[in-house]
Amino acid sequence: MKKLFAVALGILTAIGGFVDIGDLVTNAQVGSRFGMSLAWVVVVGVLGICVFAEMSGRVAAVSGRATFDLIRERLGPRLGLANLLASMTVTLLTFVAEIGGIALALALATSVYEFLWVPFTALAVWLVLWRAKFSLMENVFGLLGLALVVFAVALWQLGPDWGDLWHQAGTVAKPGSEDWSTYAYYGVALFGAAMTPYEVFFFSSGGVEEHWSSRSIATMRSNVFIGFPLGGLLSLSIAGCAAVTLLPAGISVDTLGQVGLPVALALGKIGLAIALLGFFAATFGAACETGLSLGYSIAQYFGWQWGKYVRPREASRFHVVILISTVLAVAVLLTTIDPVLVTEFSVVFSAVALPLTYFPILVVANDPDYMGEHTNGRLANFLGSVYLVVVLVASIAALPLMIWTKMGQ
Amino acid sequence: MTNPGRRLDARLHLLDRQILDVDGRMVASVDDVEIQRRADGTFAVTALLVGPGVLGPRMGGVTGRTMTAVWERLAHKDRTEPGRIDMSEVADIGSAITLSVRRERLSVAGFETWVRERVIEKIPGAFHEPQE
Repeated sequence: MKKLFAVALGILTAIGGFVDIGDLVTNAQVGSRFGMSLAWVVVVGVLGICVFAEMSGRVAAVSGRATFDLIRERLGPRLGLANLLASMTVTLLTFVAEIGGIALALALATSVYEFLWVPFTALAVWLVLWRAKFSLMENVFGLLGLALVVFAVALWQLGPDWGDLWHQAGTVAKPGSEDWSTYAYYGVALFGAAMTPYEVFFFSSGGVEEHWSSRSIATMRSNVFIGFPLGGLLSLSIAGCAAVTLLPAGISVDTLGQVGLPVALALGKIGLAIALLGFFAATFGAACETGLSLGYSIAQYFGWQWGKYVRPREASRFHVVILISTVLAVAVLLTTIDPVLVTEFSVVFSAVALPLTYFPILVVANDPDYMGEHTNGRLANFLGSVYLVVVLVASIAALPLMIWTKMGQ
Repeated sequence: MTNPGRRLDARLHLLDRQILDVDGRMVASVDDVEIQRRADGTFAVTALLVGPGVLGPRMGGVTGRTMTAVWERLAHKDRTEPGRIDMSEVADIGSAITLSVRRERLSVAGFETWVRERVIEKIPGAFHEPQE
């Protein structure tokens, strides 16, 4: 019974924790401009993150080594350092976007200017990272993030023509007003949002934090293979809501408020309140995850003590990296840059950085020296190799598409 | 070492691997190894070397030189030697290298100690276990 509860809790937090500011904004933008015609990218992205999260989780469970530790071992210190700098830049960008996202959610709820919220949200995030237990942080924000189910309810309440939505999702077509280049650009952005690299840094390091062993693999898999796809359904329902309401009205999504607009239309104030709670939990949880990931990746590269399972003084350098990152994030946001714009950049640069993370994971998951009987099977290797190609294409195409389409204009 | 019969590839099994102390706490990554010639003419790895002072030269190039220069500038003036962990203190070599001593007994944590004393311990809560 207790075990069943643990599995259920893991799945629920995986669902609630799946969506972050990148998913919220990008899915709503895509829905409002392309309907459900890019839904297939979410499906491809979710399967991809499942494949690689499972691999990195398995490596962490069997060997006790988290992802960045292995990146340096397999790529060597030079390439590893280049990888570290690139990954940390992208993760810092995402961290800034998430803190900005919390501030936006609070500004929507209180009508207090969003940049006034920034220092307080950052302080709150830092306090959680400094004092709260890992499992507490994960469970609270994961479960609160389930409030985003309101988007699925709203979509159902809106009573769309389901046949039409299916048709949009099932055919390679786009609304006539859009170019194929912007279609491709948003496809890459959506893929980057679904497969953000910090997710595997966090997932594998979290496994070490929670002392996974080979026996944890079954639980880990149920979280990944049930929780993540259901989280992906939340992403799709955000896109669906936008496709049903914003697309016909010709409203494009430039603010977080517009992401929640369809819920307000369908379910009124109560629905909007629940959506705002979901925004807050999703961005706050992801801010914690990205903040920790910054500390995890640099500490794992240099071999420093890291983790929330020890007292802060035992992992001083790890905590100092988190502290500096938080201050930096506040500094960036207080230039009054639009957090939604930061989010758009962060998902595109995530797409660029994808191969740096996923290639070493695939290599190590195939190393019997580490993995013993848990070495990758044929299915994992087949999917891993296919995805490596997909990820490489997305990575190469991301920047040219961004420049060509002027960020999707 | 506990496993004298096992053949180890220094590059594959030692370099860049995580070092843990006897309690499982993380110490450092192996940045380089010290190799000495024995009386019979064979070579043996005698110590694990850690810190930017050895990682810099190993990396080479502008990055490596910068790293070495920063280390020389910031490390204690009396410390010209890089961090060294003798192979006699290594208990096991697996997916991580486990030592037979506690990390406080090693003199490889200069930066960690500096950050701990100057920054982290000054913030309330540094000594507490994370809370439920």
